[in-house]
Amino acid sequence: MIDELELLKKDWQKKGGQHPKLSYDEIYKMLWKKSSSIVKWILIISILELILPNLVYLSPSIREDIFIKGAEDFNNYYLAIMAIYYIVVIYFISLFYMRYKEISVLENAKNLMAQIIRVRTTVKYYIIFCLSMSLVFVAYYALGIYFNDEVLLSIEGIPEKVKEVPFEKIRAAALWILIIGGIVITAIAACIYFLLYGLLLRKLKKNYNELQQLDL
Amino acid sequence: MHKELEHKFVTELENNQNIVHKVCTLYTNNRDAHNDLFQEITIQLWKAYPKFRGESKFSTWMYRVALNTAITLYRKNKRSIPTQDYESVIFKIQADEYDATEEQQLRLMYNAVRQLGDIDKALIFLYLEDKDYTEIAETLGITEVNVRVKMNRIKTRLKTILNP
Repeated sequence: MIDELELLKKDWQKKGGQHPKLSYDEIYKMLWKKSSSIVKWILIISILELILPNLVYLSPSIREDIFIKGAEDFNNYYLAIMAIYYIVVIYFISLFYMRYKEISVLENAKNLMAQIIRVRTTVKYYIIFCLSMSLVFVAYYALGIYFNDEVLLSIEGIPEKVKEVPFEKIRAAALWILIIGGIVITAIAACIYFLLYGLLLRKLKKNYNELQQLDL
Repeated sequence: MHKELEHKFVTELENNQNIVHKVCTLYTNNRDAHNDLFQEITIQLWKAYPKFRGESKFSTWMYRVALNTAITLYRKNKRSIPTQDYESVIFKIQADEYDATEEQQLRLMYNAVRQLGDIDKALIFLYLEDKDYTEIAETLGITEVNVRVKMNRIKTRLKTILNP
């Protein structure tokens, strides 16, 4: 075996330059081509992930519905939750930016992989936070509907329904729809996200674990 | 100033392009994929070039960037249209000058190396390039002892591939 490897080494060094050489101009042109590296993809996907959950809150139709007349306490607590939410979002975005900037192709292979995984982990925690917050909002609305009639009446179509169906029945139905709907949508979002995350980093994680295991 | 930097970089890369070609040969299966990886490595080298301070030789610096790109950054699907392995085509054309058993042996070895995983390929590549264990360890970020352990495992693995 060793002999064969030595044979291979000799041959390898002899035929090193066998690939057709690229000219100065051919190499020069490559400098301006777009990179298709995993880091670039992670940046694009992460920015989308950082922005998308917030777009939902910024759409005008949702903004109008946020504050409910006659339910001041409900509105105030809602504002407080939103404030905390945005503070955490800003924290995550700055953390993401700092870690992204740390990625350097000049690191050794293991560190480079670790840096990339760290950036992705930041986004992963951010997504887990967003998904949890969506459940918090569902719970908050559910409590609102349960304790405050104004919250239930603020839902489109409910005031008309109240004339036909008993109020408590409507309340129970609204609660169930909200809770089950909220959980199902959050679960679907989580599945899509973790599938994407897994596919993107599968190869990198495998290589990283291989290097990591050596040092154990 | 920028033009000067571009010129310096392209000239250096033109003179040392063999290193990149060798990495591409090891990590891709056909000419298109080879050229694609070559391009990505060039882009990464160029992006990192302002940080190259000339403390080491340009070629030494290239090994790290080229391997990092091939192992970690490059994400194009490698399972592109299965074409004939052009490296072995080149090899066959040249092989007439060689003794037939040696040729056969070498071809088997090249094919065996291609079947290795990304990390194993990197180790073998640096070994074939006559890098010592210290440099291999630094490039991959593992200890020298582990480079030795890993090299032994790769040799065993190659043996299994060659004598199934």
